[in-house]
Formats: sequence, structure tokens, C-alpha cells
Amino acid sequence: MLAVVKRSARRRWWLAIALAGVAALATGVYVARGVWSPTGVADSAALLDVALPDAEGKEQRLDQWRGKVLIVNFWATWCAPCREEMREFIRFQHADGAKGLQFVGIAVDQADNVRQYAKEIELNYPALIGGLGAMQLSQAMGNELMALPFTVVVSRDGKIVHRQLGPLKQTQLEQIVGKLL
Amino acid sequence: MDLPLISTGSKLKRIVDALAVAVVLAAMVAAARATGLDLSGAEPKLLPPEQAFRFSARALDSKTLEGRFDVVDGYYLYRDKLHFVLQAAPPALEKTELPAGQSKHDEFFGDVEIYRGAVTIKLPIAGGSPGQSLVLVADSQGCADVGVCYPPTRQRVRLTVPQAGAGSGPSVAASPPRKGLFD
Repeated sequence: MLAVVKRSARRRWWLAIALAGVAALATGVYVARGVWSPTGVADSAALLDVALPDAEGKEQRLDQWRGKVLIVNFWATWCAPCREEMREFIRFQHADGAKGLQFVGIAVDQADNVRQYAKEIELNYPALIGGLGAMQLSQAMGNELMALPFTVVVSRDGKIVHRQLGPLKQTQLEQIVGKLL
Repeated sequence: MDLPLISTGSKLKRIVDALAVAVVLAAMVAAARATGLDLSGAEPKLLPPEQAFRFSARALDSKTLEGRFDVVDGYYLYRDKLHFVLQAAPPALEKTELPAGQSKHDEFFGDVEIYRGAVTIKLPIAGGSPGQSLVLVADSQGCADVGVCYPPTRQRVRLTVPQAGAGSGPSVAASPPRKGLFD
């Protein structure tokens, strides 16, 4: 009787391991394809189709940066955590811009504020003016709380590989650069 | 004599089932880490602003309203971003004295005053008549300590001006969540 129980347990182990393998494979494929995203959230096409004026009033389409590792950051001058992470973005843009890393800021703010602040911190990547309407865009991209900062990372092949509410840490940026560039 | 063996088998089954679940979960995490960007775990669980900064109000008498923010632990409001207005005045709000807040040194904004916990604000009104229905609009802006800030948020409370000598009216919570900014 005990032997029967042991055999049954062994079979369960093999079943568990097989299930784990299938689950791991499915997860890996999903993550690798960049489809691991909240349901009902817009994909990169909706983001790359966006055109917004820059601080000088010139319209900029996001799809001009297709083929680069694109980090789209929703921010505002009234948001202290946004300001803090932007210092890091400037450093990474300077170090890895030539390798294909491109930050783009979408400001939930007024053009005057953005122009002044961009000059003050010597911003080295585009700052597009989204106004309060940019919050709706960020919501469509998965920012359900419509809080800031909110960041979307798009890989070279145009897939959204990460969405994050709250600041991107230096270690996360290093991972992005390490894996995607 | 079979009973103990059946019992042992059942216990074994439970252990194996639990281990199987653990193995599946561990394998999923391992696969996710190995194949893609593992930036997970960085996003904090946050409340929507109307829950993080719950607003309520009551009429103290025919000449005074009282607004109250209950700020959840881990969140704060900027004092200088609080604004109140009455819809469809008269009556009109008179000059509001905001209570002093805690001082906070911000690297970017310098010394600012913030509110944590509960804060009540006296709001004098002029021209209100007993029984009159009012809508008090409160605009606020705040952040979570984890490093996330909310855009200006508007909350509304409908109040009735009390009869003279009737005492204060009931406390009324702000109406349900916004659908968009400044709805």
C-alpha cells in the first residue's frame, strides 16, 4: 500500500515538473515578445502615432524615433520625483544616445514652464508639450491613476517592454540599456 | 490497519501538491527573469487621489463651512495648492485662513508646507440663507512618499446651510471619483 502511495506521489512530481516547464515556457515567450502588459492598455502603435509640439512649438511625431530604444517619460515641473529622475535620464542620454537610446519627455504642463525648466537643467532630449491632455494619453498607456512620473519603454522593434508608474531607478536604466541596446 | 496508510498518503498528496505549486511559481519567475526585462516589483501600490486625500465638509452654521482632508499615511498635500470655491455663488466664500502645515525641505521647490493626517479648514461664507443648497469645490495637489505625484484633483461636496440656532449640519463626504481631470 505504501509503495502504491509512493508511486502515485512520484507521478505527481513528474506532472508538477512538466506543468512548471510549460508555464515557464509560456511566460518566457510572453515576456520575450513584449506582450506582458495589462489588459485593455494601448499598444506601442497608439503611442508612436502621437504628434505633439516641442518646447519651441514645432510638431514632433514619436514614430521618428522608431528603431531606437525609446523611453517615453510623462512628467511635469510641479512633480519633484519627476525632476529627480530626469537628472539620471540626462546622464543616460548623454552616455548612450549615440548607441540608440532615446528619451522623450511628454510634459503634463504649460509650454512656458517646460521651456524654462528645460533650459535650467540643460535638457538634452526632446520635451514635448502635452498639457493636461497628456494625462489621458498616459492613462491609455496604462497609467490608471494618472499620476507622475510614468514611463513607457519601447524596444527597437517597436514593442512596449515596460510601463512604470514612479521613478525609474538607476539600476533599472542600466538593465534597459544592457538588455535592449 | 489501512487507515493510517491512507492518512499518510493524503498528507503526502498535500505536501506534493504544495511543492508542485511552489515549483510552478518559481519556474515562472525564473523564466520571466531569464527571457525579458525584469523591472518588476518597482511599481508601488498606490491609491487614487480621491482616496489618498479624502475630502469631506459640513456647515458649522449659516456663516461658516468646514472642509476636512483625511490624508492617508504615506501621502501628503501641498498647503499652497489648496483652493476652495462655491459653485453658483452667492453665497461666496470669504477669505480663508489655511492652518499651518508641516515644513518640508524639497530639493527642487525649497521649503514648502505640507499636510499629513487630518486637516480641517474653516471657510467663512457671506450671503447664504438657511436651507440653501451649496456645492463646495476643493482643489488640492499632493504626492505619495514613494515618489509619485498626482495632478491637481477636484472634489465636490453638496451641503445645506443650516437654520439659525440649529447647530452644525452633518459631515458629507466628497462625491464619487472623477472621470477625468477637473470634471
